[in-house]
Amino acid sequence: MNNLLEQFLSEGRDFLQGIGEKLMQLEDEPNSTPLMTELFRFVHTLKGNSGLFEFPEMTRVLHASEDLMDAVRNGRVGYSQDLADQLLDAMDFVGMLMDEIEATGEISKNHAVPAAEHAQVLRSLLVVSESNADSNSDLHTSSEIKSEVNSLLAELPIFELEESVAEELYLHALEGETAFWVEYKPESDCFFKGEDPLFLMRQVPDTLWRHIILNNTAPILAEMDVYSNQLVFQLLTTAPSEELDDLFRYVPDEIKRIEIPALAFVRPTGNQDDHAIDIDFIDNALALLNKNNISVLTQIINTMLELSAPELWSSSVLRWVLRLLEHEPDNKTAQHALLKSLQTLTAPDWSAPAEHVERSDSKEVEHATTSVNVRKTEEDDELLQNFYVVVNAQREILSLSHKSGFSWTAGRLKSIASTLMGCYRAVNRECNIDNVLERALAENSPTPLLTWLEESLANNEQDVEIEVETDFSEISTSSESTPNALISDHKDAHENVVHNEAKTARRVDEVSTVVPKTLKVDQDKIDRLMNLIGEMVVAKNALPYLANRAETVFGVRDLSREIKAQYAVINRVAEEMQDTIMQVRMMPVSFIFQRFPRMVRDISRKLGKEVELVLEGESTEADKNIVEALSDPLIHIVRNSLDHGLEQPDVRLAAGKNATGKLTIRATQESDRVLIEIMDDGKGIDPKIIKHKAYEKGLIDETTLERISDQDAINLIFAAGFSTVEVISDLSGRGVGMDVVRSAVEKVNGTVGIESQVGKGTRIHLSLPLSMAVTNVIIIESNKQIFGVPMDMVVETVRVPRSQIRTIKHKQTTVLRGRVVPLLSLNQLLARGVEQLPNEDDEFATLIVRVHGEHIGILVDEFRETVDIILKPMAGILGGLSSYSGAALLGDGSVLMVLNPRELI
Amino acid sequence: MAIEYKKSVATFSEFISVEEAEALLEWLLKNPKGKVNFAECTHIHASSLQVLMALKPTIVAEPKDADLAVWLKVALAD
Amino acid sequence: MKHILVIDDAATVRMYHRNILETAGYRVDEAINGIEALEKALVKPYDLYIVDVNMPKLDGYGFLKEFRRQEDLSQTPAIMVTTEAGANDRALGYAAGANLYLTKPIKPHELLSYTRLLLGDLA
Repeated sequence: MNNLLEQFLSEGRDFLQGIGEKLMQLEDEPNSTPLMTELFRFVHTLKGNSGLFEFPEMTRVLHASEDLMDAVRNGRVGYSQDLADQLLDAMDFVGMLMDEIEATGEISKNHAVPAAEHAQVLRSLLVVSESNADSNSDLHTSSEIKSEVNSLLAELPIFELEESVAEELYLHALEGETAFWVEYKPESDCFFKGEDPLFLMRQVPDTLWRHIILNNTAPILAEMDVYSNQLVFQLLTTAPSEELDDLFRYVPDEIKRIEIPALAFVRPTGNQDDHAIDIDFIDNALALLNKNNISVLTQIINTMLELSAPELWSSSVLRWVLRLLEHEPDNKTAQHALLKSLQTLTAPDWSAPAEHVERSDSKEVEHATTSVNVRKTEEDDELLQNFYVVVNAQREILSLSHKSGFSWTAGRLKSIASTLMGCYRAVNRECNIDNVLERALAENSPTPLLTWLEESLANNEQDVEIEVETDFSEISTSSESTPNALISDHKDAHENVVHNEAKTARRVDEVSTVVPKTLKVDQDKIDRLMNLIGEMVVAKNALPYLANRAETVFGVRDLSREIKAQYAVINRVAEEMQDTIMQVRMMPVSFIFQRFPRMVRDISRKLGKEVELVLEGESTEADKNIVEALSDPLIHIVRNSLDHGLEQPDVRLAAGKNATGKLTIRATQESDRVLIEIMDDGKGIDPKIIKHKAYEKGLIDETTLERISDQDAINLIFAAGFSTVEVISDLSGRGVGMDVVRSAVEKVNGTVGIESQVGKGTRIHLSLPLSMAVTNVIIIESNKQIFGVPMDMVVETVRVPRSQIRTIKHKQTTVLRGRVVPLLSLNQLLARGVEQLPNEDDEFATLIVRVHGEHIGILVDEFRETVDIILKPMAGILGGLSSYSGAALLGDGSVLMVLNPRELI
Repeated sequence: MAIEYKKSVATFSEFISVEEAEALLEWLLKNPKGKVNFAECTHIHASSLQVLMALKPTIVAEPKDADLAVWLKVALAD
Repeated sequence: MKHILVIDDAATVRMYHRNILETAGYRVDEAINGIEALEKALVKPYDLYIVDVNMPKLDGYGFLKEFRRQEDLSQTPAIMVTTEAGANDRALGYAAGANLYLTKPIKPHELLSYTRLLLGDLA
């Protein structure tokens, strides 16, 4: 993917995010002008960006969104929830397209129709409100709709029809009899279902055009899978809609059907090589069309047709112009576009927005200036066209400002002069403008420059074979037609400018030197850096071994000391590096919080509940992996709160609560851990119901059922196998996949807890490490092997004398500070039939670990030191061993297997 | 048999069912200059049609069935 | 080497313009809004300004208006580049001080051709 595209996607996602946020905020302050302006700007800029690429589907949706937001911004359309919903949907769609672009580099054609639908929905919001506001807007709305239908057509393949058939279809379509374009894309395994797609397509009545595409994917023909369908069928038919429905009733998902509007059939055909239509004729015809002198226009076209060979492309164009004049006399845009196509020699693009044709007068100037006779190299041609565009722009500036009594600054005049000089120089023409400029400056008036420009253009006309005259007539007609608009624009412009001036003066001071200092870095690079530092930490750990060897093996004590000193330095630097890179990887939890406003809003609306969401501590940071790991569990919990925790407004009112439920998500940092709390003031969890469900599920036995405390009962919702669909439906609390939440959180060394009070609400709290990159483990020895145990699970290490070990119900236990602690031997846990080795005093080294809130003693042979390691998950077959959480390299190069006590026990 | 293979011409008659596709592909691969005769053919199953579209053999006779002829024309046009 | 300031709040557009202009041998600086553009221009004037309309803090109109009031800068040509294609918008752009008003998306050769024209460079 190229850089520009990457930039586009990265920036685009930021915009989508911003749009979502602004829409949320707008919900609270629906009349906030700054918010709307900002929102419009986001959509507008994103659309602009997408236009740099060939992503018509995306641009189409964004264009419609932009138009809608523009209308909202200007108060033409009121902000509503429905509108926000549609815009959010559209932005989700755009986000999906971005994902696809990122994955494949392009947008699949399949999105064309959904894109058009999104655009249509957005435009319908525009249309409805506008026709309410303005009874005069019928014309406008119909052209809006038309442009939408036309944009659908952009997806159609070019079907070639005989002109007579096309004419027939065109007339049919004008009368409201529809023609359909049908695409049938049978499934690849359809032959095995006894289907014959060709047979089906042959049953379609009134087929006027057909096409078959073969998508053979086999690289060599011999490997072609003949029994896997690779064909796509397309056809054009006038058959009634119901008949098509009936024919394709068994394969509706494989059918794409588009109704074709009349204009789509207006496609000139014929021989294009010999274009004999004279430029004068075209200008003349356009002028007649502008003056609405249809009878003369018809006359000259008929004359031209008599003079030209009928099979010429241009003749076909002229015949279509006549048909349009007859059948769609009011569609000046289309007539104009057709006549124009005689100049450009390309058929009109009906899929382009209709307004485009009307507003592009400045572009037309370019075309008109290019005499068809003058064919130099294309670049020169373009330069010359553009020369006139620029020169005419200066003319427009000079004359328009002149009319409205604009106050001229020397700078304005100079910039126009310098623009003109540049232009003339670029096309190798003389431009003695210095004196003129001096006069203009002296008079502080544009007139001298304007006069010079008019004269210069008049002279140039003789130099180059260019139809400058036509330009000017067109320009003057177009500017005459809207004099009022221009003048009032100028007033606006003037006011606007004055307004901006005041702002500028103030803001220049305010925003003195804001230079962005943020760097966007690819995550891969950070990960790589992280790995390298990890390796360095391990390599560094080799130095103490080396120092030891220097002393014990080689007997060089001084060297040993020096190595140790050096180690201290490297150690410090390595730790700082590690720290810094951790900081880089830190990201605020707002990254996942930001999706909740939208999610809570969507779900609560769907459920008919009223929920106020409070987010706290969004700036709390944690390692990227941790934050990401938090995402799914949090969504799960929030969903549960909304589904099962918070009640319907009437229920709440009846219970004496506020109708609006409150859901709080709070993040805080507590030493080296992040705490996330999710609290709701819903109906809470009834421990009685949990107990019974757990009993029914066989998770607890009868004695436990009677003895279990309420808190322990509530904790049961984290038990695996507790939640099933059946539970969800009648359980008055939560419990949807909470075991999934627990295991996801535990995977990153986190813990989860819950408190709930019936009628009052529920609080779920997650505690996660700030970073998971480095793990502190204690090394233990058992059966002549060493293992690591993560320190965050170890409560303490004790030596338990053999005499203190009691056997209760075949289970070994001991009493530690008045608490009964079950004891397990590591050798047994690892299925090694060897007793643990006690020390000389007959005491067993025991790790007290906390597993699911309980203290358990693990007997080992001996404790060793604690080390920081970079824990790597085990790959391959070993990866399936859940009793290990991973492995790490030690300083001496040996591998340390790290136990996972949770799974072990 | 609905397709009759001779030295250089495969003659299609009446209704060509789904089973013919594999043999047709083999024959066309073995006889790259093999020609096809559709004169008496009334329908070709899509499986054989895609083989024809992939290999584009020379047609010695178009089908008398006008509708099939139109479809084959658009399918086998270059 | 001629020096051009591209003023646009969209990083994608800035990169797009930069790629085109640098390939053609121009030097390009970027500014993300009118304020930053003014600051940069006041420190070191450019040979050409390519200005977007809709930007936060100070938009393209505001920038041009202010820019044309600066004695040292005002004679430099400026191209306004925008998606707003209405005649009104064009008039607004000219009133504010643009020398040329172009509608996005601009094709690379178009941008280059206009740049050369305004700077008086031969291709």
